Amino acid sequence: MANLRIEQLNKRYGATTVLNDVNLSIEDGEFVVLVGPSGCGKSTLLRMIAGLDGASGGDIHIAGKLVNTLAPAERGIAMVFQSYALYPHMNVRKNMTFGLKFTGVPPTERERRVAEAARMLRLEELLERYPRDLSGGQRQRVAIGRAIVREPAVFLFDEPLSNLDAALRVSTRVEIANLHRLLKSTIVYVTHDQVEAMTLADRIVVMNKGCIEQVGKPLDLYYEPANLFVAGFIGSPAMNFFEAEVKGIEGGRARVTGAAFRDLDIPAASLKVGDRLTVGVRPEHLVRGEAGAFIAEGVVELVERLGEASFAYLRRADGRMFVAEVRGRRTPAPGETVTLVAAGPDVHVFDASGLRLAT
Amino acid sequence: MAEPVSHVTAQMPRAKLAGLLLFFLGPAVVIYTLFSIYPLVATMALSTYTSDPSGSRSFVGLANFRTLLGDALWSKPFWNALGNNLIFFIVHMCVQNPVGIALAGLLSLPGVRLKGFYRTVMFLPTMLSVVIVGFSWNLILSPLWGVASGALKAVGLGSLFAPWLGLESSALVTLSLISVWQFVGIPMMLIYAALLNIPEELIDAARVDGLGQFRIFFHIKLPLVLPTISLVSVLTFVANFNAFDLIYSVKGALAGPNFATDILGTFFYRTFFGNQLQLGNPTMGAAVATVMFFIILLGLCLYLFLVQRRIRRYAF
Repeated sequence: MANLRIEQLNKRYGATTVLNDVNLSIEDGEFVVLVGPSGCGKSTLLRMIAGLDGASGGDIHIAGKLVNTLAPAERGIAMVFQSYALYPHMNVRKNMTFGLKFTGVPPTERERRVAEAARMLRLEELLERYPRDLSGGQRQRVAIGRAIVREPAVFLFDEPLSNLDAALRVSTRVEIANLHRLLKSTIVYVTHDQVEAMTLADRIVVMNKGCIEQVGKPLDLYYEPANLFVAGFIGSPAMNFFEAEVKGIEGGRARVTGAAFRDLDIPAASLKVGDRLTVGVRPEHLVRGEAGAFIAEGVVELVERLGEASFAYLRRADGRMFVAEVRGRRTPAPGETVTLVAAGPDVHVFDASGLRLAT
Repeated sequence: MAEPVSHVTAQMPRAKLAGLLLFFLGPAVVIYTLFSIYPLVATMALSTYTSDPSGSRSFVGLANFRTLLGDALWSKPFWNALGNNLIFFIVHMCVQNPVGIALAGLLSLPGVRLKGFYRTVMFLPTMLSVVIVGFSWNLILSPLWGVASGALKAVGLGSLFAPWLGLESSALVTLSLISVWQFVGIPMMLIYAALLNIPEELIDAARVDGLGQFRIFFHIKLPLVLPTISLVSVLTFVANFNAFDLIYSVKGALAGPNFATDILGTFFYRTFFGNQLQLGNPTMGAAVATVMFFIILLGLCLYLFLVQRRIRRYAF
């Protein structure tokens, strides 16, 4: 059992707080992706799990063992770095066995592990080559191989795909997913790319400003974002937000009005008249029509055609823009006024503090 | 496919291309020729002449070199100076460069406080005038009023003190160490700069692989700064075989005691300009300078063909 437990983890540099009371529990074999904008603390968190950075407070347990004071090599982790960080003066084989030499793995065992990792990653042909003779994708595989031979309890990946070109990124992503299926190992993976996060993760941890905003399965995050930040961060193009206010409450239902959409009817719960709200609808949930839970109008200013879909950028009544996805060949023309509707479950309402309300 | 620039130059009229080359290369060629190539060639030419007491010169071919290497009156001090120069160089290679590497390694450790202060302090002697350094060390080591003997006594090592600069057995090594003290900042800075160039992630990877700072230095950092270390060695070699100023300022042109600190630079100086009872002999001096040139050339060639070609530079 190789679970990872993080309790009340803090990191401060002087007056700046980089991580603020982070709590996270990761199950054995789980693939967890830390995602967030740059500077949100995700890489710091990963480096603290690895033991490369110290904590200002809190505990990290790996496989049931408190590792706070242990050196990186003693924590049972292996790390894959963004720049691959292969030793340039060693060939692939030596790159992979180098660390094992210092952790007391006997030579025959080292050779066995390298052979196995090389087979798994299709590196057999490359074992005698030097990193300078490898392509970016091959270097990436060697870096993963160097992690595998350590047979760690937890794999740590720090933005491993961001130095690859777009096509290679997709194929390496698939390889990493396959590898996880094969090794059944616990993986913590940092990225700023939400597509990587959505496709790879069993669970996604969305971070912002040193705090965890939400932890959940990819589709749960997409359909039930806990707050405005997650709603705006997951999904591309981002969710449209409309300012709104509670106008009246009648029989357990609240009437919500806003400048840019027609009145909306939601469960009142603890809402009061005059409460400020934010209504969020994803571009892909807006369709042309006349009737729906949510109705908004806009004048088309620009249409982006991607092929499988097009994005219409519309100017709404309050002067701001919103985006709607249009399927098919017929796209609205600029200047056209369009009425767009969304179904009840696709309309998200957030209170003044940004928390999502049940609708 | 031709590069755009070479495409442009390929289509240029010959005269225009020549003008362009002259414009860009001319100034460097002129300055280099005037101040490096011409003096070198003139020195070599001068070494094949001899002058009689009347001052007229006559061509003698390689006779000066035969005298220098064959006549005991000349060859004895020459071989003495060359041997001393080798010792001077070996002390630098064995003390200055390892200490420079070690200091650079310490400075590049994470979490060293007052880094800038140490760096500056250790580089400071390099910026001092050699004359001042020589004079200061002369005073420090003086058995009459120097602080060295008192300082050693204060820590109970007074019996170790000796007039090092005055003893034939220790004068050369002492001078070499003074020079090491002054110039250790140069290898330190060059290697420090090379160490800073090593990506942080590589060091992190080594830490995850279970290496401590000491092993990281020997297994990762040192192999990666090898090109810089070999560059530093060459610079040391050239500077040592051209050295003159420190010996001259501490010991004078006679490089005492009894020529124990005589190196090629001081030997050349006495030969060319003369000293006390020795008359200056420009043609013989030119022969010494020419031999010095070939010694350095030989050393550089050995380095280029034996070392440089085997060293690989790493792009990160």
